[in-house]
Amino acid sequence: MKLLRDVHQEFLTGAYQYVLPETVLLGTACVLFVLAITVPRRAVAVGVGLLGVAGAAALAALVGVESLRGVLGWQELSLFWGTVEGTPYYPRALSPFDPTGPAAFVRWVALASAALFTLLAYAETRDDNACEYVACLLVAAAGTSLVGRANDLVTLFLSLEMLSIPTYVLLYLPVRSRDGQESAVKYFVLSILSSAVMLFGFSYLYGLTGTTNLGAIVDTLNDAHKSQVGPMALVAIVLVIAGLGFRLTLVPFHFYAPDVYEGGPTGVVAQLAFIPKVAGFIALARVLGMLYPPLDQLPFDASGTLIPMTLWVLAAVTMTFGNAFALLQTNLKRLLAYSGIAHAGYMLIGFVVASTLPDVVNGTVPSQVGLDSVLFYLVTYGLMTVGSFAVLVHLAGGEHPVETVDDLAGLAKTHPWAAGALAVCLFSLLGLPLSAGFAGKLLLFVGAFDAPTTGSLKTMARILAVVAVVNSAIGAVYYLRLVGVMTLRSPLKVAETSRGNVALVVALICAAATVAVGVYPKPLADAARAAIPLRDVGR
Amino acid sequence: MPIPVMTPEGLEAAFDLSAYYPALIYVLVIVGMAVGIVASSHMPFLKPSNKTRVKQMTYESGMDPIGNARMQFDVKFYLIAILFLVFDVELLFLYPWAVVAYGADGTDSAWRTAFGPVVFAEILIFLATLGIAYAYAWRKGVFQWR
Repeated sequence: MKLLRDVHQEFLTGAYQYVLPETVLLGTACVLFVLAITVPRRAVAVGVGLLGVAGAAALAALVGVESLRGVLGWQELSLFWGTVEGTPYYPRALSPFDPTGPAAFVRWVALASAALFTLLAYAETRDDNACEYVACLLVAAAGTSLVGRANDLVTLFLSLEMLSIPTYVLLYLPVRSRDGQESAVKYFVLSILSSAVMLFGFSYLYGLTGTTNLGAIVDTLNDAHKSQVGPMALVAIVLVIAGLGFRLTLVPFHFYAPDVYEGGPTGVVAQLAFIPKVAGFIALARVLGMLYPPLDQLPFDASGTLIPMTLWVLAAVTMTFGNAFALLQTNLKRLLAYSGIAHAGYMLIGFVVASTLPDVVNGTVPSQVGLDSVLFYLVTYGLMTVGSFAVLVHLAGGEHPVETVDDLAGLAKTHPWAAGALAVCLFSLLGLPLSAGFAGKLLLFVGAFDAPTTGSLKTMARILAVVAVVNSAIGAVYYLRLVGVMTLRSPLKVAETSRGNVALVVALICAAATVAVGVYPKPLADAARAAIPLRDVGR
Repeated sequence: MPIPVMTPEGLEAAFDLSAYYPALIYVLVIVGMAVGIVASSHMPFLKPSNKTRVKQMTYESGMDPIGNARMQFDVKFYLIAILFLVFDVELLFLYPWAVVAYGADGTDSAWRTAFGPVVFAEILIFLATLGIAYAYAWRKGVFQWR
């Protein structure tokens, strides 16, 4: 038997090997800050940024190769399960970084999106701010990747902040307009407030369980909640959901999103619409104990309906509210903000499904376990949202950037490629078959229909699927309106594209990937499924 | 609910709130003192009332206050303050490293062989990051009082 202290020692001296790609990203960011004071050139910044991402990706790929692990002494998927016998508090991953679970999946999402956003930075920045911009971008990408791996309240909070703090700088860097300042300050203040609320919840979790390790917290709450749920645990989890809800733009905490998106620089808004949702959903799944086998128990299981119903109501309200308000928008970025709120609601369906898993009867593992569809949907949502925003970045070159729905009039005639990419992304957001959005929605809704109906939620998950389908139909109105304006109306004025074609390339990449995932979703769906620990369901 | 934990040093007792009653007494004394002082200095019948112009003046460490404090301050003060805070706090961070990692007592040799190189490398990286931040602030002209 290894002593607890030795194991701690091993984790502390060996933890760096789980974060090698992130370290490369941070090192590149440091190099970029030095370049900012020596050779401030836009092309240099983007080039070095892409090199850094490529280096991190190469390392991430190397870590994934089984045969190299022994040679290099790196570990990626080793399990710390049961290393310490006889210590009831520490039966699983003691490490501040969880080498299992969705960590690798989230890392690849973070790296791929970092490459796209670095390309967008070429269109968004000037020589004098490009280095700082790309450096902040890489730090945020490293933070996102670490959220997927964080297995401790401390590392989780630190990586969430590592994602937020560069975002404040990014929002302020490219534009110095009044609107830009307003959006930066608004996001800064509200983000800090939400972090404080979340920390308050974390402090209750620590006070209740005496540990900051998430695996140990989940175990302790599992044991304590066999018969009755402690009221302080509910206070804690509600505070954490509220704090993360800000990042996810769930409906009582969404109100900042349209204003911030409208005023912020479009390239940053593309990031803001996607990255915090990835981090927030993973963090939520971790704190709710949905990433720790055995999945047939959840730390708030004995409450029966409380946590699932909270998620249910949040999902239904968020998607309905987002879609209803998107109908009223004339500003494109506000419209995409409300569309993002609605999509956050769709993704919460996966959490409702995951919270019904304790009711799974022996042997009947549902086809979708909730979180795998969430991971899949996150990727597709990222592709179509980043693609849409990239088109807006492309069309924002002149004095009068494309901002309102009317500015899009006749785009199919004046900028056919941009219009085509935007149309593909909008069709995908709407969920038309053969697009990635359709595959994502299908997995989510099928999961909700497949969820066990014997538990406390009864058929509520199915009702949620019906609500979501109705909402998708509402979404068709405002997405198709944009497509109609682009193709049917005649152009009022030709949008200037003086920023070059880099943003258009990003948009086309996103559109092509959207179609590819939509036509053949199996590899991505399998990867998402493999990222969710499943082995103990229906045991 | 908290239960006792087995650690290498032996059984660690479960968390017990009643063991913290001295803290409660401490809080009571603090609150009592605060309430007592505020009451004796502000209650109309307890406080002596002898207002003079000098006594009503804002206390500024012995200086006579000049002008109104509610004015716009130059943003440069803010930059200097935040830089001071950053480097001050980061310097403070070196103390526990120097004392704990290489101090005479409290660190056994096993700990030092296991963590010594790692901690030293970490501090070097930390100082390098500081250096980059300093160079950045310097080249960006933060230290010039323009």
